[in-house]
Amino acid sequence: MNISGYTGALLRIDLSRRQARREPWDLGLAERFVGGRGLASYLLYREQDPAADALGAESKFILGTGPLTGTGAVAASRYVVVCKAPLTGTIACSNSGGFFGPELKFAGYDFAIFEGRSETPVYVWIDDGRVEFRSAEKLWGLTPAATDEQVRRETSLMAKVACIGPGGEKRSLLAGVVNDRARLAARSGVGAVLGSKNLKAVAVRGAGSVCLADPEAFWLAALDALKKIVNDPVSFGSFRAYGTASLVNLINEMGAYPTRNFLEEVFAGAMPTSGEAIRDELLLRNRACFACPIACTRVTAVKDGPYQGRGEGPEYETTWSFGALCGVSDLKAIAKAHYLCCDYGLDAMSAGATVACAMELFEKGYVPGSDIGFALRFGDAEAMVAAVRLMGERRGPFGALLADGSYRLAAHYGHPELFMGVKKLEMAAYSPRVFQGMALHYATSNRGACHVRGNTVAAELYGIPKYVPPETLDGKEEMVRRPFQNSTAFVDSTGICLFSKFAITHREIVSMLAPATGLDFTFDKSIVQGDRIWNLERLFNLRAGFAAADDTLPERMLEPVPGGPRAGSRAQLHQNLQTYYALRGWDERGVPTRQKLEELGLEDTWQVCR
Amino acid sequence: MEVTVRLFASLRRHRPDLALGQPLTCQLPERATLADLIQAVLGPLPDEVAIMLVNGQLQAGEQVLSEGDRVSLWPPVAGGAL
Repeated sequence: MNISGYTGALLRIDLSRRQARREPWDLGLAERFVGGRGLASYLLYREQDPAADALGAESKFILGTGPLTGTGAVAASRYVVVCKAPLTGTIACSNSGGFFGPELKFAGYDFAIFEGRSETPVYVWIDDGRVEFRSAEKLWGLTPAATDEQVRRETSLMAKVACIGPGGEKRSLLAGVVNDRARLAARSGVGAVLGSKNLKAVAVRGAGSVCLADPEAFWLAALDALKKIVNDPVSFGSFRAYGTASLVNLINEMGAYPTRNFLEEVFAGAMPTSGEAIRDELLLRNRACFACPIACTRVTAVKDGPYQGRGEGPEYETTWSFGALCGVSDLKAIAKAHYLCCDYGLDAMSAGATVACAMELFEKGYVPGSDIGFALRFGDAEAMVAAVRLMGERRGPFGALLADGSYRLAAHYGHPELFMGVKKLEMAAYSPRVFQGMALHYATSNRGACHVRGNTVAAELYGIPKYVPPETLDGKEEMVRRPFQNSTAFVDSTGICLFSKFAITHREIVSMLAPATGLDFTFDKSIVQGDRIWNLERLFNLRAGFAAADDTLPERMLEPVPGGPRAGSRAQLHQNLQTYYALRGWDERGVPTRQKLEELGLEDTWQVCR
Repeated sequence: MEVTVRLFASLRRHRPDLALGQPLTCQLPERATLADLIQAVLGPLPDEVAIMLVNGQLQAGEQVLSEGDRVSLWPPVAGGAL
């Protein structure tokens, strides 16, 4: 059988025995779980006990690509990192662009599954069909950028590298996987899993290409999608000009910009930290991922002063997490904190949120200054950067607490109510007290309070696909479920970047998927595929011990906004959670019913779940 | 009546004399709408203005303005994901 779109193979790497073997995977799974997020999650579900220790030798770590990754389809650069999340205990699926994902495809693999644990630091060099295990003793302690350079020097300058920084080596629960020097599959602590396996890096070089079942139809569809993206004022306009940080002033003016650990929703110091200010003061140039015309990445530099540095970003979420959330309006300090997180290989969203939590703990007197070593107050830029260094280096008992995120920090000091997240994952820069869709989404997202699993702000602010006022409750359950959560699950499984979706829909995506793979991908099937993937992730979490009680928000989000244009607004989750469960085909405990699982063809997993 | 307006993102290029976030004070007749204000400030460019806040609330072009209103304007912008 000719295989197109996919390579049809996975690479299984046993780190304990230092063995690697190529295996075919069942292509019958492609039409059920698509690829990327969906298929890698299925592989994890099948191979790992969800209740197992995320950092144990028995845990698995999967790198996965989608059927469009590396085909040349517009913005199809993504790869996923799937494992059990050490930060949250949920299923983890972090993804990233750049060039690493396409290169894995070119080497002949849709997935790479890492098992076991190396006795000593190691890196894996995948050179097409050849796999080598090499010592990473000399790489240990290096930043991702330095690791990338050294590994390419030792292997091939054409190699693409995914690795961990010192944060992952120290098993920080905020550590991500860094590819192409500075791009992070950031959230859920996935980098700590590599650290626990003593796996510093994966380098890959592929001389192959991705076969297409019907090249003519594929390229016609790909050109159509490309035209739509370059004619779109968001994708090809604001993303290129300002990155995502063009939202800073807008969300702040709306009164929905979480400030000082979510105590307030308006930040008086937002303007100097906005996308406009980043463009005026820090931007050097844009950078693009594989096959992407958008080029949203901002290469920036702080050229002088105490916060001197250079890197990619900050973007909306991190100019917020180190800015408004910490009460800091010094853009150079924010950029420095962001660069440091890249150097340590940490999730800069959760890192900033953890510093903000520490600031509130300190200001309320719950953490003695002697534990920290300095005063850590809201608005103190120097202290904020110093706290990021403590965290990244895991220095001392307080540094170790910071390195494991705000849930554990707040709980350690006896004030878990100061943790601003869900399922131990910190929230993003869209207040659920204002955006009722985000309230329901944060509470029910399969990886905790993550915004990119169903960012309803698109509807509640930009009017995509249709404007629904943020405060409206009616209909939000279906909106969260289908056009956001399920749709995102599908798109993340194809290999296409979510940023393309401001200009194209499932229709354009399936128009590329079908001729790329030769399989019967259709719009209607994509809706069911997204639903199936969402339910599969839910089953993993239920088996890991999560329950309806975990589908909730911090108490503070249920209290009224204290001031600003949205004063009095609060998250009204209790009014729509049960309706959401019912629409999903789940019982009142949030467990998928037998009927729902039969509808999705997930009976086999249901049997395990019982 | 007097209202203030601020331009963000690419709309700033229409008034390069204004610093980031600097409000522009406009005199408008009573019962003037948001669309009237945009016409007065930016000329005939309604397509470029996508997001309009009046005192922090999302509004459409037909919204009638009042004395002292704070208006903020954006082109199409977005973030996060979809």
